[in-house]
Amino acid sequence: MSYAYLFKYIIIGDTGVGKSCLLLQFTDKRFQPVHDLTIGVEFGARMITIDNKSIKLQIWDTAGQESFRSITRSYYRGAAGALLVYDITRRETFNHLASWLEDARQHANANMTIMLIGNKCDLAHRRAVSTEEGEQFAKENGLIFMEASAKTAQNVEEAFISTAATIYKKIQEGVFDVSNESYGIKVGYGGIPGPSGGRDGSASQAGGCCS
Amino acid sequence: MCRNETRRVMSQELQTLMTYYRPSIHARRANITVKFQDLYGFTVEGNVDDVNVLNEVREKVRQQGRVWWELEARKGANWYLLPGISSISEGIAVSSLKLSFLANVITLKKLIRKGIPPVLRPKVWFSVSGAAKKRSTVPESYYSDLIDAVEGRVTHATRQIDHGLNYVAALLLLVMKTEEDAFWMLAVLLEDVLVTDCYTDNLSGCHVEQRVFKDLLTQKCPRIAAHLEALEFDVSLVATEWFLCLFSKSLPSETTMRVWDVLFNEGAKVLFHVALAIFKMKEEELLLTNQIGDVLSIIQRTIHHLYNPDELLTVAFDKIGSMTTNAITKQRKKQKSVVMAELDQRLRRLNRSKDG
Repeated sequence: MSYAYLFKYIIIGDTGVGKSCLLLQFTDKRFQPVHDLTIGVEFGARMITIDNKSIKLQIWDTAGQESFRSITRSYYRGAAGALLVYDITRRETFNHLASWLEDARQHANANMTIMLIGNKCDLAHRRAVSTEEGEQFAKENGLIFMEASAKTAQNVEEAFISTAATIYKKIQEGVFDVSNESYGIKVGYGGIPGPSGGRDGSASQAGGCCS
Repeated sequence: MCRNETRRVMSQELQTLMTYYRPSIHARRANITVKFQDLYGFTVEGNVDDVNVLNEVREKVRQQGRVWWELEARKGANWYLLPGISSISEGIAVSSLKLSFLANVITLKKLIRKGIPPVLRPKVWFSVSGAAKKRSTVPESYYSDLIDAVEGRVTHATRQIDHGLNYVAALLLLVMKTEEDAFWMLAVLLEDVLVTDCYTDNLSGCHVEQRVFKDLLTQKCPRIAAHLEALEFDVSLVATEWFLCLFSKSLPSETTMRVWDVLFNEGAKVLFHVALAIFKMKEEELLLTNQIGDVLSIIQRTIHHLYNPDELLTVAFDKIGSMTTNAITKQRKKQKSVVMAELDQRLRRLNRSKDG
């Protein structure tokens, strides 16, 4: 299928916060209450549309266990976006955010867009981290923030898509050199319309490539 | 128009239609997902072709069983359980062995590569892996004493076997007759068969294996290795799980069992053979990819549909060529220092950022 851009995402955060479930909800629109422990990394992909352009998200869902973190770091390379996830019912997963950010700063490119997600917001009665704290942390570290629930699907779609919208905006603003793939952005086979040919280019683009 | 003529035209049209539709019927059939039970009673999802392959495999397993019974009739009961008959350690003192014994070692090695009949698996694995020998070095009551000792102290945290070892333990429990036998199989795996430190907290052994695997791919499949390098595809992306779960999480169950048959008899180098084979089988397709996502989907599709174990094992042993345990040991030594230095560097960085 043709697309204008391909963005690589990485999902990070402590074990058991719901990274794989967020991915499954986003790609398959279903929730799996018991999920196998992720070993190393798993992958998902989905097409979305932003500004009438098809964008393919290639999502790397990493293992959260501490012992895997020395492997995980090699996955940051070439990621355009990261979803940093914690569990609003488990305080320690919020406390560990700083060390995840440290890994991200060390191994990812500086322009990577990071979305902070407070997952399991359907479990409000067991809440251990307030929404304000999440907002505060995001603000201090320059992250986008949302609370979401992989179970009810609340904000899942929005989290993935608004991250993409932010990346897309950065491209429009010329923050990235899209020909340099280390930013985690690939130009699709459909060809990208340059800044001038954007609007009317999209229709012919959709029909132009059938691979 | 007479009736016959009409029929002729109709059949002609039908033929045209068939040639037009047939490929798509075939494609659709291959895409229909069906649920079925595999040889171990697991419900799995696959396409119609997978079901057919699995039925053929079932028949082959029966045939292979007959081969074992015939040999047993000729060589005597339990001939395959003789101590020292395993091929796990190369460089056995050949001179000290009788020729007839050596012949049996070779026969068994060939036989195991073709598959151990499911009913014999517990016995044969226990013997060739060295688990039986390991068990014989401790008192009879060792395991029950151990269970008594940990009784009441097993918390959720200690019971959780991490890093994929849970998948391995689960399959061992399924195959072995008793929990105790499964325990000894796990012990021999971790202590003797696999590389050391494979499942420690920093997974250093696992990192070492990944690096050795990367080197072996360059040696054995240079075209693929060069292509993946150009795409910046690191083999550890897919192979970490293979080596930690010993393929149990990715391959269909009977195929996993067949890999383990050889693993227990010939040692950890088997994992490299199999991992290389997965890439080798798809060489032409892989060389056409131009991004990481395509490589991932080819590899994942391949392993999930590998219902025919012989297809995989033939490539693993006939097409990959031989590798000696000695050579692999040497490469592991070389990579270990690199891995340790890297892990150490990360630890220091994290400590620095904590202090700062």
